Amino acid sequence: MEHRTMSRRRFLGASLGGAGAALPGLAGCGAPSGSASAGTGHLSLWYWKGALSEELLRTARRGVPGVPGLRVQGSQIPDGDIDSKVRTSLAARAYVPDITVANSDNLATFFPDENEFLDLRMLGAESVRDRYLDWKWKSCFTPSGRMIGFPLDAGPTALYYRRDLFREAGLAHEPADVAETIPSWEKFIAAGKTLRAKVPGKPYLVSNIGNVFQQVLLQSPKQFVDADNRFIGDQEHVRRAWDLSVEILRQRLSARITDGTPDFNAALSGGRVATMTTAVWAINGLKDSAPKTSGTWRLTTMPDGPANYGGSYLTLTRYCRDPEAAFAFLTWLLSPANQLKSYQEISLFPTTPAAYAAPAMHRPDPFFGGQQPIDVFGPAAENAPVNYFSPYEETANTPFFQELTNVETLGKNPERAWRDAVNTAETTLTRLGVS
Amino acid sequence: MATVLDPAGAPPADERRTTRRTRSTAPGGRRRHIPPLLAISPFYVLFAVFGTFPVLYSLYLSFQDWDGIGDMRFVGFQQYGWLLEDSVFWHSVLNTFEIWFLSTVPMLFLALVLAFLLHSQVRFTGAMRVAYFIPNVTSMVAMTVVFGSVFAQAGLANSALRAIGLDGIGWLSSEWGIKSSVSLMIIWRWVGYNALIFLAGLQAIPTEHFEAARVDGANSWQTLFRVVLPQLRPVVLFAAVTSTINGLQIFTESQVLFQSSDVGTTGGPGQEGMTIVLYLWQKAFKEHQFGYGAAMGWLLFAIIAVFTIINWRLVSGSDRDDDRPRLAGLLRRKGARDGR
Repeated sequence: MEHRTMSRRRFLGASLGGAGAALPGLAGCGAPSGSASAGTGHLSLWYWKGALSEELLRTARRGVPGVPGLRVQGSQIPDGDIDSKVRTSLAARAYVPDITVANSDNLATFFPDENEFLDLRMLGAESVRDRYLDWKWKSCFTPSGRMIGFPLDAGPTALYYRRDLFREAGLAHEPADVAETIPSWEKFIAAGKTLRAKVPGKPYLVSNIGNVFQQVLLQSPKQFVDADNRFIGDQEHVRRAWDLSVEILRQRLSARITDGTPDFNAALSGGRVATMTTAVWAINGLKDSAPKTSGTWRLTTMPDGPANYGGSYLTLTRYCRDPEAAFAFLTWLLSPANQLKSYQEISLFPTTPAAYAAPAMHRPDPFFGGQQPIDVFGPAAENAPVNYFSPYEETANTPFFQELTNVETLGKNPERAWRDAVNTAETTLTRLGVS
Repeated sequence: MATVLDPAGAPPADERRTTRRTRSTAPGGRRRHIPPLLAISPFYVLFAVFGTFPVLYSLYLSFQDWDGIGDMRFVGFQQYGWLLEDSVFWHSVLNTFEIWFLSTVPMLFLALVLAFLLHSQVRFTGAMRVAYFIPNVTSMVAMTVVFGSVFAQAGLANSALRAIGLDGIGWLSSEWGIKSSVSLMIIWRWVGYNALIFLAGLQAIPTEHFEAARVDGANSWQTLFRVVLPQLRPVVLFAAVTSTINGLQIFTESQVLFQSSDVGTTGGPGQEGMTIVLYLWQKAFKEHQFGYGAAMGWLLFAIIAVFTIINWRLVSGSDRDDDRPRLAGLLRRKGARDGR
């Protein structure tokens, strides 16, 4: 989900992936033969550009500190291709990477094939559990209780808002005050009306309502399909997200612009959109698309509380030639100290709360008028709810997002759109064995 | 052979040996063919591995239920049955045909005009040909990003419209806006390619015909439609058939144009940009329903086959030999009129 914003850049930054060149006869261990690293002296790791710190990977290529004799060779795979490449290799039972990165919405799609991945509990994962965020840790497990993922990064959410516009509208405008006066989505909508009425440029509250729908949903532990494989997308928690989104549209508070488009960038730079409801990883995109607005933005707690949006995992496939060493590599790469390094290098938000206290994370950011983003994102990461994502999440939510776009862009009747979304989702899911 | 050798049935022992010897020389004879076969084998081996096998496998897959990793489950014609009831699929079929029509008809016409101009152009012909062919080899993903800016609400296309006093169009947010922008991208990409094909056809037409037409006073349009077009029919047929096959497989334009951070939408608002192949990709590679995707691929194959046949019938409808007397007659008439 979260990587869509960056995928275009990743598309262009595509590089060669695939199995590393094999050096025959180096490590003659009798491990499973399906590994991409078979016959070499290292373990193979697939990731996409920006998913892992290149600096740490360089170290791992020479030798993983603390694990004598272990070398890990990372191969960059374009992020649009990595899922199908992993699936292809697993289906072929050949050239499977020992270690691979999985996206947040991607990990669950492997649940039906959970035995293709090693259960990290068997390798002693419990011993490092207290280092990681609780909700993130829980999200690594399949419904049957197998731990197939290991926490890589998190995507705590916040309300990004234009302090200058809030001030012009006579609203509370300092982060702490905004958090206090806008504790709920209803208050958020009210603030939006004030903004539109009082600020000369008549700014919109949000760029599009899909973002709000997404955020309200993520604040709910339940999503579209539950752990017993039942469709719950027609229930109150989804309906509430839908109604709030439609209300924003009805009050004419949405700029009705798709994120990531040139129009979106123009609207942000021109101050026509006053807030963004998104995760920490959107910071760099915002800085790139609206550099002139530097200093006017602030961060505060999301209405109705924080959530997590995106973030990735590392997994070990069952073809991994040396599970113990690979697990040792994970605990090294994703230790609090190294997550801090990754944050400094490529802004990966740590899943280890211990890192939040580090001085390196408490740098004032001039883009946010000297505010320290960690002051908002740190507590958000620690207080995000535990969500359950089913393997069919994307199949189930596609009709809802599609119909919401139809309502917003083409003026479709919201009630009819809701019925169409529920019907489409139900029909498609029934065919997949979801009841 | 046996009847010739021995009417009684079994040939005598030594005869049989001779027969065997004659037969045993056959492999030796065949061995002569091995080097040339080996020489052309790379293509056939690669084609078998990367062409034939996936095609046949996808047929097999269309009768299975498979998520890409786990066990396959045989489901018979269920995927096809579901597909026929899938309203999004039929919407995508309609979209594909609308986009195909909006793009192919103007594209072939433009290509013909371009080819004709290139044919008469004397200076910089080589450079012009290269220029027209460049869009075809440009990275589609990169170009779609550029077109995304052109068709933005405040983009180049709308600025141009406003400059001449018209209202802006929701290029990426209204039904016909979406279809027009995708079609324009296809036209931009393929017009040069088809112009070069037409140009090759034009160059095969004997220059006497042009000279005769010119001597008889035909203007450029008359030459194009009365002299060139009839003789270009096989080339037009080729271009029409390939454009049909390509046009019904539109994918990249829609995929990249509407691939935004907007979660869960494919094909833009109202799914007006959803094409058959885009829907196939979404089902197979995003939602991991490979059987469904494969079934869709085969239905698309059937649709393309039917339309190629229709196209072929349409374009090669009348007999080509009829045209020559007609052309001669036309020239004679014109000549007579001009002579007067």
